[in-house]
Amino acid sequence: MKTGKGILMFFYVFSFFFLLTAMSPIQATAAVKAKFDVNKMADMSGFDPNNFPNPTGDTIKIAIVATFSGPAAAVGEGFWLYATWAAYDINKRGGLMVDGKKKLIQLFKADTMSRPDQAKKICEQMVLQEGVKFLWGADGSHIVKIMNQTANKYKVIAVNMISLSEDLQDAKNFSPYAFMSWWQTSQVGRSFAYYFGQRKKEKKFYIMCQDYVFGHEMAENFKKGLKEYYPEAQIVGEDFHKLFATDYAPYITKIKASGAEVIYTGDWDPDATNLLKQSRAMGLKLPFAHIYMGNPATLASLGVEATTGLLIGSPYSNGNPAFKTPEQIKYHKTMMDAYKRFKPPYNKMDYMLGWDPLAMEFSWLLSVIERAGSVDAEKIIKTWEGDTYEYVNGHVKTMRACDHNTIQETYILEYVPPDQQRQSFNIPPYHWSDKSALYGPAFRVPAEKVLPWMDPNLERCKGKKPSDIN
Amino acid sequence: MDPTTAMYVSQGIHGLAYGMILFLVASGVSLIIGMMHIFNLAHAGFFMLSAYFTYQFVAWTGNFWLALLLAPIATGFCGMLMERFLLRPLRGSGVIGDLILTVGVALCIDALVKVIWGTANKPLSKPPLLQGMVHFAGLDYPYYRLFVIGLAVVVLLIMALLLYKTRIGKIVRAAVSDNDMVNALGINIPLLFTFVFGVGIWLAGVAGAAIAPILSVFPGLALQMGMDAFIVVAVAGFGSLRGAFMVSILFGLMNSYGVQFISQLAPLSMFIFMAIVMIFFPHGFFGESEEE
Repeated sequence: MKTGKGILMFFYVFSFFFLLTAMSPIQATAAVKAKFDVNKMADMSGFDPNNFPNPTGDTIKIAIVATFSGPAAAVGEGFWLYATWAAYDINKRGGLMVDGKKKLIQLFKADTMSRPDQAKKICEQMVLQEGVKFLWGADGSHIVKIMNQTANKYKVIAVNMISLSEDLQDAKNFSPYAFMSWWQTSQVGRSFAYYFGQRKKEKKFYIMCQDYVFGHEMAENFKKGLKEYYPEAQIVGEDFHKLFATDYAPYITKIKASGAEVIYTGDWDPDATNLLKQSRAMGLKLPFAHIYMGNPATLASLGVEATTGLLIGSPYSNGNPAFKTPEQIKYHKTMMDAYKRFKPPYNKMDYMLGWDPLAMEFSWLLSVIERAGSVDAEKIIKTWEGDTYEYVNGHVKTMRACDHNTIQETYILEYVPPDQQRQSFNIPPYHWSDKSALYGPAFRVPAEKVLPWMDPNLERCKGKKPSDIN
Repeated sequence: MDPTTAMYVSQGIHGLAYGMILFLVASGVSLIIGMMHIFNLAHAGFFMLSAYFTYQFVAWTGNFWLALLLAPIATGFCGMLMERFLLRPLRGSGVIGDLILTVGVALCIDALVKVIWGTANKPLSKPPLLQGMVHFAGLDYPYYRLFVIGLAVVVLLIMALLLYKTRIGKIVRAAVSDNDMVNALGINIPLLFTFVFGVGIWLAGVAGAAIAPILSVFPGLALQMGMDAFIVVAVAGFGSLRGAFMVSILFGLMNSYGVQFISQLAPLSMFIFMAIVMIFFPHGFFGESEEE
């Protein structure tokens, strides 16, 4: 994605993913090799992201590659919270056994300032000066590309834990040192297409995305998905607006006149929020099929009626009810207790909601390091390829060996009024939000229906099917 | 009115509304450049600051109307402080000094809002009185956007009265043409500059306050509006309020009808238009004639 990928694109992402904790194991495309064990967690009562006790010396060095300054600085704040949470837990347990001795996790802030030139500089600095062995980020595919190139050059591991562009793992850009642990635009588009094809409630779709490579990729993959899973569907309009647009009214008027029944969008904030807000103000009541319209404050300001019916795609949820085991409830309570102690800038609902999925992403990396028993890149690669890891909520992710994309089932969740959220939020207070509609019915999209795209030109994948794990 | 006609009329009103907001921001830029020859790159930052002030005043008082009044005044006051204590000492140091200083102020505002309000979106609701839609002849239109148009018209009229019907307006216009001569007549030019700078920032403040309930209030807000406002001023000509008004409306309409008919090119239309104008009118449509 592009410079300045804005603002907070992720916490809203997660803002909702987190909460969708749920438990039933998913696709069973492979046996789970490791899982996050709540019962082994350290005492987290001393956790404070503002004062993370960062060890020095002979440590496992991981750089958090993100925007830590400028308008999108909140992105870095979020990443830091998620990583420190997982690292604090491991460090309190005494660290990971690596190369014959227990080592603590040391984290570095690698501020990209949302700029590719700065990303290159800081990633190289991290590797060459700080001795970092892992680059974990980043907000924007253009930055991830730089991060992956750096990893490839210096033979360290890069983990793309948030950017969705599928060309990052294509034949041209693939690096054996780069892994993608989130989901892809093709998985997003096809998840929604499959959902609508099964639901058959709506037939006319309007695509509204940002006018750059990510937005176009989102749109194309949704259209491909509809052809595959819902050929009777109609695209009644398609628009691409500039990034950080101010006035959506002309687009909204077009949408209203188009006869659309659903608006599909890949917009992230602030565009996502502004589009939703202005749509509702102009009387456009249609549901948005989205992945980033989860800003709790915005949803609350719009109220229950305006947010009911929104549809969000999730690569983290695991169906209803969200809390299926005592361990998961314990984890949730631990997070909530920590959140109550947070001081600025971390005492925001956005962070509280967002940190679960990404902390799990980070935990997957730590688990791989632990099982590899080394920070050596080749050993990490060997361990991670074909690995299957179960998150705290039971969501299972599998790292496809040939192109390092993640196989997983996904969910489409419908926003419902607070009194109906109990079907999802099955513990007190029995709703995700009392001020807006939020997660209710959850529709499972099987992993085999949304296998990540595999570039047929990638030599390593030749002769393999997208469902092949190894 | 049939649905198709209603759609075209709606697009026209959208264009008008956005044009008015653009004008409020651009007019302040234009006024300051025209009179003081300062290219204030912090202008959009003040626009953003006013949106934050509005959010804060609403949070404190729960009264949007009071916030709409106070936020632009507070922003204008900040602008006056900037002129008095930062820009005035630099007078005579040339354009580069002003540019560096105003960029610095813009960065400071950006950092300041993050320190005070954090980096997350600050949603602001419309006042209850202006929620909902007006239904007229088959047309549905939000009250709030009509209010924004009305507010901008009122501000425009106030500015016109101030500039063309008051003594201070005459002085300002005279200073735009030849401030040395005005100075020679015994007018306190530094004080006048501070006043004009404050008014220019106040205009941005009005726009920031008015747009806050439509957009998210967040640290990147200045970027959203700043570029468009400077394009308006470049096309209109530095110092021309009349030009800023006409070009703002033109751009507003280009934007909305562009989205309707040539959606893919709409985001580029302002830039293309500016490039063409700059080729044939290097000083903008109205800049040169007013200088003369």
